[in-house]
Amino acid sequence: MSSLSTPTEPSRWSRVWNSNIGYSFRRNPVAIVSLMIFLLIAIMSIFAPLIAPFDPYDLGQIDIMNSEYPPLWVDGSDAQFILGTDDQGRDLWSTILYGTRLSLLIGICAVVLQAFLGISIGLIAGYVGGRTDSLLMRLADIQLSFSTLMVAIIFLAVTQAMFGSETFNQYAIYFLIAVIGVAEWPQYARTVRATVLAEKKKEYVDSARVLGFGPGRIMVRHILPNSLSPIFVISTVQVANAIISEASLSFLGLGMPPSQPSLGSLISSGFDYIFSGSWWITAIPGIVLVVLVLVINLLGDWLRDALNPKLYKG
Amino acid sequence: MNKFIRIAAAGMMSLTFGAVAQADVTVKVAYDADPVSLDPHEQLSGGTLQFSHMSFDPLVRWTQDLQFEPRLAESWEQIDATTTRFHLRSGVKFHSGNVMTATDVDWTFDRLKESPDFKGIFSLFTDVKVIDDHTFDLITSEPYPLVLHTVTYIFPMDSKFYSGTTDDGKDRSELVKHGDSFASRNVSGTGPFVVSEREQGVKMVFDRFDGYWDTETAGNVDQIILTPIKESPTRVAALLSGDVDFIAPVPPTDLARVDENDSTDLITMPGTRIITFQMNQERVEALKDVRVRQAIDYAVNNAGIVDRIMRGFGTVGAQASPAGYLGHNPELAPRFDVEKAKALMAEAGYADGFEITMMAPNNRYVNDDKIAQAVASMLAKINIKVDLQTMPKAQYWPAFDERAADMMMIGWHSDTEDSANFHQFLSHCADAETGNGQYNSGNFCNAEADMLMAKANAETDSGKRAEMLQQMETILYNEAAFIPLHWQNLAWGARKGVHADKIVNALNFPYFGDLVVD
Repeated sequence: MSSLSTPTEPSRWSRVWNSNIGYSFRRNPVAIVSLMIFLLIAIMSIFAPLIAPFDPYDLGQIDIMNSEYPPLWVDGSDAQFILGTDDQGRDLWSTILYGTRLSLLIGICAVVLQAFLGISIGLIAGYVGGRTDSLLMRLADIQLSFSTLMVAIIFLAVTQAMFGSETFNQYAIYFLIAVIGVAEWPQYARTVRATVLAEKKKEYVDSARVLGFGPGRIMVRHILPNSLSPIFVISTVQVANAIISEASLSFLGLGMPPSQPSLGSLISSGFDYIFSGSWWITAIPGIVLVVLVLVINLLGDWLRDALNPKLYKG
Repeated sequence: MNKFIRIAAAGMMSLTFGAVAQADVTVKVAYDADPVSLDPHEQLSGGTLQFSHMSFDPLVRWTQDLQFEPRLAESWEQIDATTTRFHLRSGVKFHSGNVMTATDVDWTFDRLKESPDFKGIFSLFTDVKVIDDHTFDLITSEPYPLVLHTVTYIFPMDSKFYSGTTDDGKDRSELVKHGDSFASRNVSGTGPFVVSEREQGVKMVFDRFDGYWDTETAGNVDQIILTPIKESPTRVAALLSGDVDFIAPVPPTDLARVDENDSTDLITMPGTRIITFQMNQERVEALKDVRVRQAIDYAVNNAGIVDRIMRGFGTVGAQASPAGYLGHNPELAPRFDVEKAKALMAEAGYADGFEITMMAPNNRYVNDDKIAQAVASMLAKINIKVDLQTMPKAQYWPAFDERAADMMMIGWHSDTEDSANFHQFLSHCADAETGNGQYNSGNFCNAEADMLMAKANAETDSGKRAEMLQQMETILYNEAAFIPLHWQNLAWGARKGVHADKIVNALNFPYFGDLVVD
């Protein structure tokens, strides 16, 4: 009969659902709506090739005669193009789907790169301390004193000149991930180092050391899991930042080439027409970009509040 | 008391400044780009010639209705079949103070014959013979019907100013393409404006030349500030907000806004500048095949480009010569048929297509970068994959001279207002010696067309000439020597009160010396 008395193991999902975070999420309508919008945008952009009626990267499908059709609800539109077309005759709806996919991909990959660099450097600096710490943190200071955009503009302009724009356009997405990833690692490194400094004084670290674990194992398996909550919060903010950086660089002509528009280059290509009537080429991708960044930031805000023990309301 | 004096002083100051501002008429001009060099012989381009009309004067110039107007040459007469005698105006001074004589014309002519860009125009001219200070004979190798047309390109340079050596021992008259030379940084001409400040790509300031010979002109502008504004919407916004007084070009998307605005005037004219793409046969084997070149021509929807990108502000072209030119052949129709293009590609053995590179400027012609993008996507339909690069003209022309891409864009306005000039520069067999084919980046070469051009240039009977030139255009059309897109219309925007409509012309050389501002 003893088997009956053991409570059934709750499923992973119900554990998350009943946790503090789950509770706070259920009580926060802003977070619910933000997450829903974010998931909607993310899913649609991931399945862009299935949803989009056209392939905007296939130049063969573009016809100049279709250029500058307005969205459906404006007079003079064409039923084929729900959100209208851009100056070259690309379907805006398909281009936005593909462009959002690129923006999200660049944003998330750049943040993964940032997190990898920042967390490794922060862990080492905080755990080893001493000269290594000073050296790494001074490097972070130097990096922080240059604004991300400036570093990115210089780096991209130089690579564009070095490789020629043919090669650059081919690998633009990797260059963007690399430059946005490398330029922002100190954000992570500083936060991680601060939590590591607080954590490494605790007894469980001492006991792990007494048990004979090496520093690598202690850092990764013991300290890191206990420093995760601030990392989550920064990550959401950083994804939003990276998307904005990518859009700015593409707007300036240093990002994705015109034949493979991301949200930023789409906004930039419509800029010539904004005063002459064809506002939708700039406005619609602009709205998508703003909404995307806004919901990510709102989610980040909620996560910060939920994970902050000082604001913990039970 | 002290306070009163200060207020009075401030009042006086503003009065004097006000008076100065009234006496000085400053016109702020915004172009899409500023001249690449101050040397009038370095590059044969619209930008250089626009600048030449500001700081130099030609012997003869075109009026708005395309007649000849005497400038530095007061009169001329034909002495025999190959000699024309010109009489120069007396009392004309250069900016340096030197007096202009026939020797300066002779010196300028010799320099033109040296210029890789200009010598083509002067290939049939053999010599300038100085008779006296104000008379010279211009001699051609054979009877040439376009003597006066060509003389509009002689802007006498100050031979004393440009002779000798600079401080670091370089020849002052040196002519360097895309390089640093004395003439590319210093200028002394007879023109109405002196260059008083120049920061390339940022700003150029021109001040009225005190000793300008043409005192009869109504022009009352004392200073011109030329600022390049590459972005078309920004340029239009600058005019509409009153930051600048005159802009060119006005992009087709903004014509209505400039026209409808109460404080600005729009001036438009049908243009004669043909926009083309050249296909480099030396870089790509496939382009040697006439069927592939025709297929590209069939794939490019030039009517669509005019309709959509140019918003109807241009004329669809099938040849280089616009209607009204001797060589214009009305039977040549624009080619557009994607199925035919695919069939031609298959016939030539390129059904699977190939990859090419393409370059185009992004601040030279109206909507040049957008046209190039559209052409790239049109070629994708016949499986030609295009790697497109667009760049500002300061980088584009050096790349063009290197023939750096497989397809390159070039627009051409006939220097002589005659059909032969298009062929001579754009599609003649390239010859560095004569300067023929100087802008033929496609390396197209057809002996028959060249022969027809040479014959036409020695023919003074205009009926026979027209026949030869039309035949030449037909050969170029059948051979698909280049991809003709359209003749670009011209548009300028000016603040009301700036009487720009009187100084512009179909050649797009505004005569700022004659500009009247209320």
